Amino acid sequence: MNAPLLSVESISRRFGGFIALEGVTAAFEANKVTAIIGPNGAGKSTFFNVLSGVLAPSAGSIRFKGRDITGTPQHRFAHLGIARSYQITNIFPELSVHENVRVAAQAFRARYDIWRNRAVMTELDDRADAALAAVGLGGRRDGTAKFLAHGQQRALEIAIALVADPELLLLDEPTAGMGPEETKEMVALLERLAAERTILLVEHKMKMILGLSDRILVLHHGRLIADGSPQHIQTDPEVRRVYLGQNDGYA
Amino acid sequence: MTASTSSIASVMAGPAGHRGWRARLAAWRVPLSILALCLLPWLLPSNALAVNVLVYGLLAVGYNLLFGYTGLLSFGHAAFFGAGAYVTGIAIGRFGVPWFAALLLGVAAGAALAFVIGLLSIRTRGIYFSMVTLALSQLVYYTALQASSWTGGENGLRGFTVAKLDILGWSIDFLDPIKKYYVLMVFAAAALWLVSRILNSPFGAVIEAIRENETRARACGYDVERTKLIAFTLSGLICALAGTLFALHLAIVPLDILHYQTSGMIVMMTLLGGAGSFFGPFVGALAFLLMEDVVSLWTSHWQIVVGTVFILFVLFLPKGIWGTLIAWRADR
Amino acid sequence: MDAELIAMQLFSGVALGAIMIMVALGLSIIFGMLGVVNFAHGALFMVGAYAGLWIASLTGSFWWGLLIAPLAVGALGMLIERVLIRPLYKRSVDDPLLLTFGLGYVLVEAVRILFGSDGIPFPTPPQLAGVADLGIGFFPIYRLFVVGVVALTLLLLWLGLEKTKFGLIVRAGAKDPQIMRVLGVDIATVWLLVFGLGVALTALGGVLAAPMRNVNPEMGSLVLAEAFVVTVIGGMGSLVGAVVAGLLVGVAISMTALFAPEMATIVMFALMALVLLVRPQGLFGKPTRA
Repeated sequence: MNAPLLSVESISRRFGGFIALEGVTAAFEANKVTAIIGPNGAGKSTFFNVLSGVLAPSAGSIRFKGRDITGTPQHRFAHLGIARSYQITNIFPELSVHENVRVAAQAFRARYDIWRNRAVMTELDDRADAALAAVGLGGRRDGTAKFLAHGQQRALEIAIALVADPELLLLDEPTAGMGPEETKEMVALLERLAAERTILLVEHKMKMILGLSDRILVLHHGRLIADGSPQHIQTDPEVRRVYLGQNDGYA
Repeated sequence: MTASTSSIASVMAGPAGHRGWRARLAAWRVPLSILALCLLPWLLPSNALAVNVLVYGLLAVGYNLLFGYTGLLSFGHAAFFGAGAYVTGIAIGRFGVPWFAALLLGVAAGAALAFVIGLLSIRTRGIYFSMVTLALSQLVYYTALQASSWTGGENGLRGFTVAKLDILGWSIDFLDPIKKYYVLMVFAAAALWLVSRILNSPFGAVIEAIRENETRARACGYDVERTKLIAFTLSGLICALAGTLFALHLAIVPLDILHYQTSGMIVMMTLLGGAGSFFGPFVGALAFLLMEDVVSLWTSHWQIVVGTVFILFVLFLPKGIWGTLIAWRADR
Repeated sequence: MDAELIAMQLFSGVALGAIMIMVALGLSIIFGMLGVVNFAHGALFMVGAYAGLWIASLTGSFWWGLLIAPLAVGALGMLIERVLIRPLYKRSVDDPLLLTFGLGYVLVEAVRILFGSDGIPFPTPPQLAGVADLGIGFFPIYRLFVVGVVALTLLLLWLGLEKTKFGLIVRAGAKDPQIMRVLGVDIATVWLLVFGLGVALTALGGVLAAPMRNVNPEMGSLVLAEAFVVTVIGGMGSLVGAVVAGLLVGVAISMTALFAPEMATIVMFALMALVLLVRPQGLFGKPTRA
């Protein structure tokens, strides 16, 4: 087994008296797709927010490429090589589709430069166009982002994360709110991305997860209750108990 | 944010197309503004009104950098306007500093004050920001009121009339209103060019991204707080320049310009014209001051009319005069 | 410095703080429930003072002014919410703020038209004039009365919030507006009433303050800044915070007035700056990090 790209060591997160995440330990290898599942309120979002630096863990540590990054400010994560998408569509609504991605690419080139004209930074335009093409939005580059269809906005969201060329891509429910047709397109996109990137995703759509993931983690009440291949997870009695007990039709 | 009207700068990023006329307008915005400013004294009924439009227009432009483009609703910009005016006046009147150095001192003081107030207020989130900027600028107001041996207190600062400007061997009669207007205009034009440059820069793209979606901008790798602080300081710097021009023009600094009612007036002008657009603030300052001029012929209570018009704008035309015109033209 | 003087000054700080509590509480209740920062709050304080003055002069009795003015201005508040603010709920939080700022502008000018620009003295009602000897010093009876009325109002407010169904709805709604939809409560009516209540509180503050301050159209502008300072120090949306911070600021101002009078107007802002540095969410506020 290779050295893990990302590892978390008994991380916990409390909100006042409420424990959202407790003692989760896991390591993630490069170039694998790992899905994180669990019933509502299991701590998936908190786990994701800790992994992407939005929340600092109350206890425990995070290592990325062997380096301890616990407590690093969120805006540094993108520069480390960790990019994320959000469960609720999170784009720059009034900017053009192209500018949405271009400004994301610019974070690695110029953040405080008030003097140059940004129009001369043509390589950013090219990178943005390439990312848009990769998610199938090349034809919509000049439109205003808020006028895109829901599925296209989700794709734009992924392009924004992708243009950073991250080593680790964190996707929070990439198919949330999508119809079957849009979901199918998103799955195809994720399959293309999976070929060359390390992906962690939170999802509810079981069928999609089973087809896409190399490995599945199951969270329940803030604890990691199962960790293994899709086949293993499907037959795990604890997981079956949790989901059937919930009876919310995920399994 | 209210100010999230689709802005000219964002359109700039796209290529020419159906939005081509907007890109061309944006490319020519500085020369066009300067042309308009050159004509202003000849178009308006009085020269005093032209100078006011120049100074308040520049003030609103500086404010718009923060409100319209970064999406931060400050109610404390009177402090930077006032700091520029007071420091320039004190430097000339008390220390006999040459006018040009006094101008630089005023701008530096305003920017420094903006940095400090920004440091405190940007730590707070959302709606707090407006309240904290208002309160901190009132602190500046009451400090100026108390430090009357320096500021003249309630009577305002007087006694620093600049009669002649010496520039590179030239001597310009600063008491001639038209000459004075054009001297002040040179500085305003330089500031407009600077603001246009900032909006076209990579930094200009970052502040718009923050206005549009702070969370996303942070996830993209931008230090949101630091960026806001820089924007706040730059905005304060432009407003301080407007303040120094105001002081040079009037040769008096009334205490009222530090009061938050002045901040409110800046907000109103910016919104009336159109926040987040380059020409909007000047259009707003012009509309506001014209309205004041015309209504005060009929009644001394012009503020009730201006306030009502402002309320109607918030309710029905939140993009302001210029923003609405642009949007209307773009839809056709 | 003699202890009696300090005690008197301390008490006058409490009276000052009591007025601030009324204003900040109204601001905080409206914000906690509606998410609106009411920039017309200072102007409505001023309108409350004028309404009290006017009603008192019509009826010849301070007491009618004290009773009717907050109710009348509260009703005006409900009208404002219904007509001007309700259309803005779906927009950015900045829009109600901008609108209420413009409204404050209009209210000040309207009062100037109706009552003139000059200040009007508001005599202390004869029953409450003079001073009382409390053993530790002589205290103005009117200020004792103000503290009493504010304490009573706080008690009623607390009982109303803790013991009534409306209070339950307000407390639940302030935590999570979603809950009210689930419970099938008519949010629009609740918001209307809450806005009216918040405005009535500041108007009551205005009437109470009138005999202690000069009544003039600009009196609201300092009050608005004070209310912001108190709210920021106490923590936005926290009612306990508003009470504690109001007293803190009132006492800080009066004590500074005793030892360094020229700093009295500045001290509350310095206090706020300090709180922002150490605890940006305010003394009783919750951190808002998502």
